[in-house]
Amino acid sequence: MSTNDEVRKAKVAWEETLVAPRVKKYKLEESPTRFYTPADRKNFDFLTKVGFPGEFPFTAGNEPFAFFQLNARKAALSGYRTSGASPVGSVGKYSGFGTPGDTRDYHFNCQKEGQMGGPNVAFDLATQCGYDSDSDFAEGEVGRVGMALDTLEDFEILYEAFDGDLNIDRTPSAYTINAPAVVVIAMYVALAEKRGVPLEKLRGTPQNDILKEFVGRGTYIFPPKPSIRLFRDILTFSTEHMPKMNITSIGGYHMREAGASRAQDLAFSLANGHCYIQAGVDAGLHVDQFAPMITFNGFGGSMELYQEVAFQRAARRMWARMLKEEFGAKLKKSMLIRQSLAAHIGCSSTTLQRPINNHTRAVVGGIAGGMCGGMPNVFPPYDEPLGLGHSNEGMQMQIDATRILLHEVKLGEVSDPWAGSYFMEALTDEIEAEAQAELDKIEKLGGTLAAIESGYMSRAIAKNAYEKQKKIETQEEFIVGVNCFTGDNEIEVGVSSTVKPPYDPELMKTAEERQKVNLAKVKARRDSNAVTSALAALRVSAKDESVNVMPDVIACVKAYATLQEICDVFRDEFGVAEPFRV
Amino acid sequence: MSTEKTIRALIAKPGLDGHERGAKVVAYGLRDAGFEVIYTGLRQKPDDIATTAVHEDVDVVGLSVLSGAHLSLTRRVIAKLNELGAEDILVVLGGVIPDSDRAELKEMGVSGVFTAGTPISNIVEHIEQNISASGV
Amino acid sequence: MLESWQKLVDGVKEGRIISLAKCITRVENREPGWKDAMKAICAEAGTPRVIGITGPPGAGKSTLTGKIASCFSAKGLQVGIIAIDPSSPFSGGALLGDRLRMSEAFSDSNIYIRSMATRGALGGLCQAARDVARIMDAFGKDIIIIETVGVGQDEIEVVKAADLVAVVSVPGQGDGVQAIKAGIMEIADIFVVNKADREDADVVVADIEGMLNMTCERSGPTPSVIKTTALENEGINDLVELMTQLLDDQHQDRQRDELRVKDELLLFIEREISRHVTEVFGNSGVLERAVQDILSRNSNLYSVVDTLLPGVENAISKECAKEYYS
Repeated sequence: MSTNDEVRKAKVAWEETLVAPRVKKYKLEESPTRFYTPADRKNFDFLTKVGFPGEFPFTAGNEPFAFFQLNARKAALSGYRTSGASPVGSVGKYSGFGTPGDTRDYHFNCQKEGQMGGPNVAFDLATQCGYDSDSDFAEGEVGRVGMALDTLEDFEILYEAFDGDLNIDRTPSAYTINAPAVVVIAMYVALAEKRGVPLEKLRGTPQNDILKEFVGRGTYIFPPKPSIRLFRDILTFSTEHMPKMNITSIGGYHMREAGASRAQDLAFSLANGHCYIQAGVDAGLHVDQFAPMITFNGFGGSMELYQEVAFQRAARRMWARMLKEEFGAKLKKSMLIRQSLAAHIGCSSTTLQRPINNHTRAVVGGIAGGMCGGMPNVFPPYDEPLGLGHSNEGMQMQIDATRILLHEVKLGEVSDPWAGSYFMEALTDEIEAEAQAELDKIEKLGGTLAAIESGYMSRAIAKNAYEKQKKIETQEEFIVGVNCFTGDNEIEVGVSSTVKPPYDPELMKTAEERQKVNLAKVKARRDSNAVTSALAALRVSAKDESVNVMPDVIACVKAYATLQEICDVFRDEFGVAEPFRV
Repeated sequence: MSTEKTIRALIAKPGLDGHERGAKVVAYGLRDAGFEVIYTGLRQKPDDIATTAVHEDVDVVGLSVLSGAHLSLTRRVIAKLNELGAEDILVVLGGVIPDSDRAELKEMGVSGVFTAGTPISNIVEHIEQNISASGV
Repeated sequence: MLESWQKLVDGVKEGRIISLAKCITRVENREPGWKDAMKAICAEAGTPRVIGITGPPGAGKSTLTGKIASCFSAKGLQVGIIAIDPSSPFSGGALLGDRLRMSEAFSDSNIYIRSMATRGALGGLCQAARDVARIMDAFGKDIIIIETVGVGQDEIEVVKAADLVAVVSVPGQGDGVQAIKAGIMEIADIFVVNKADREDADVVVADIEGMLNMTCERSGPTPSVIKTTALENEGINDLVELMTQLLDDQHQDRQRDELRVKDELLLFIEREISRHVTEVFGNSGVLERAVQDILSRNSNLYSVVDTLLPGVENAISKECAKEYYS
């Protein structure tokens, strides 16, 4: 068998005799393609670098084989809708708009159509930023990108759609909420207590990933340090009282969409995760007590299929190593990246121009997903960037593409198909090294919080976004139909299907007014003394860093204090986050 | 570099939408085109954006809205600019803006809408061609 | 003076913000008639106190400036802030992001914030900033804070424009005090150690005090070193108290005022002459001829200067000068 040295020598000879003359003949600067050999896999030990699916370091995948693959045949025979399926006990499609009553009714309608999944709640921006529907800041935003939430009553109204057979002891929920996550989780607890549902039965996932907000999504309220204190309070409360509840859903998806590079996505996600886990450890818990309840929302994606596959492999390996070697995790579940979305293209890869091409792009993402240890989810539907909502046709094409990848292309039949590939292993190592270099930089800056507070992360991301834009404008990078192949002889394939708005536009128009009326009624009805003393007690707890605020927040929501009233106490005690240097 | 007067621009995100990528990329791009760009960041009240524009005597205000609230927010900014006597300040808009809203925006006084995929040079050209000579 | 300028200057004196804003723009752009406008502005001058805030990037100057301004405003004073950021040497453009970090000050009607770019001025601080301070003064501002870029010769330059100079440093910048460049020890009136909640804050304070003890060439009292945590509003009151006290003291320091005025005068004249010379020589083709002569080795730099200079020197000879200012 040839040794690496022999291979290297042979490659040099090949480059000299075949490549160089061809490069010269066509007057190029260098060869436009690369070729990898065994010599490119440096220090490659299969068992330590790859291992087996379901075994540390999980490079090849989280499980020996995945659910979607074991159920594949059954799914095809039964006509199962792989996405948006939501049987009882699952979480439904990301949704929410208008008043809680509007969203509740929407769920009732979904249930009539057989969608039995629990609420996967989108909140409006006012709620996400800690404002009530009657606040000045909320004007124009109430009920728009999600459901308005002001008091426990709103929460109770929403959950009228999840009672009886769909009660919260068997229906999980998901909340895309970050800065005021304590309030929403407290409402969930309060609701359970009102309904006599033991807290140990509650399942669900709050996004609760405040660190990425500072650098990628923008709905933060308090400064980083007190935000981690609130995270810790949720973590310890959850670990003690709601062991089936996920603590957070983290990941670089939003940071990549904001412009982060692949290496930054991975590094910042690891750094943020590190910070969260450290918070739990600092609170006196052993990592295995809570790490299994840390999930991932997903990382970012791009059109570069090879690199995204390598990214997922490197991410699994780095996370597992961090949990095991740095934090001493022993449980397998502590070391896994549990995410619903594997490799994908990222919504920012879709174009407004010739939107049907986005379907082609999304399929590439599905292939990457299927080849990296995940389900070959084709995402997003082609009309994503049009900003009008997803058409039924778009969603059908999306689901069918996923099915085609599963059942016709049979992507799931091999786990980690690229394992051992000279190219893929070299690439995985490369991405790991780049991410590690970023992590070292963050370490030098004083850790995750310092890197965020100094504005380093947000500036690095903005700079990368700008570099990317410049590359597109100078045609150093190509986007078909946008900066190339746009001539007169091209056909601008358009979209002619009318998208039925997912939510009734009439309801959207009046949501703000109706919610303000509801809120006023709650404020009139409630015992204002109880509210005042509950908020006062919360203030005392907030001031003491060692105290867990959850019990007091729960008391506040039970007294029907509003989301903003609670957040205002925190604003007073913690201050608000200052914008970072641009 | 042109010897003409330096163009001053204000880039702002009104309302609560937190997606800054586009706004920042445009801010950097305008800087590299020779503009002086005042970037005021997230969560700006429409009235404050107008006031800042007047205080900084900018030639153009660029708004970025991805939450769908662009009609009401833009209307407020333009109303306040007019109230402050700053009708001569150009207003341009970017973000997630459905085509069907363009007519209403134009009527409001928005001189240009620049959504994803627009080369920055288009924005620069539009601004250079449309800003008014400085008034008193 | 042109009518359009007159209207603006009148507006400034009447306290109309839109006039202030536009006047600043036109003066900064050196639009024809600007000097006459500045003469009218100076006629309205009060006794503004100008504070210069300088220090390396990342020290928190913008946040600090905003907090200081709010504090002065709370005492009933009108404050103007000039926030300076560097222009790109390549494109001439600039990203002015300082006011972003002064949200509290922005909402205060006693405070006016103006962002300025250096526009190629050497040393990071421009003559225009001094002009703008005068306009703000005519508008009615009692305190003007100039927040500089913090690189190059900024710290030295800003002394010439300000009654009071505060140099900001921050713990964790490795060699702490070395970040404060040579020459600063002699000119700063106050040293501020910001982000004092950080671990090595006291080390930085000790370093600065140590260096101050070693420096001998100073007139006046030894500068104080104050700790602040601007984001938490800590130390700001003490800092502003100290600034107020020093400003009152300096009010008596005529020598310093004289030095400052002389410096600005000479610099201004120098710049105007230089501009004029470049224009005249450039427009008449003399400059091109001289350059070609040097390149083709018909002559050399020194000979060319000796040829061109006597004409200029004659105009500025002691005899002529006496005539000019009599």
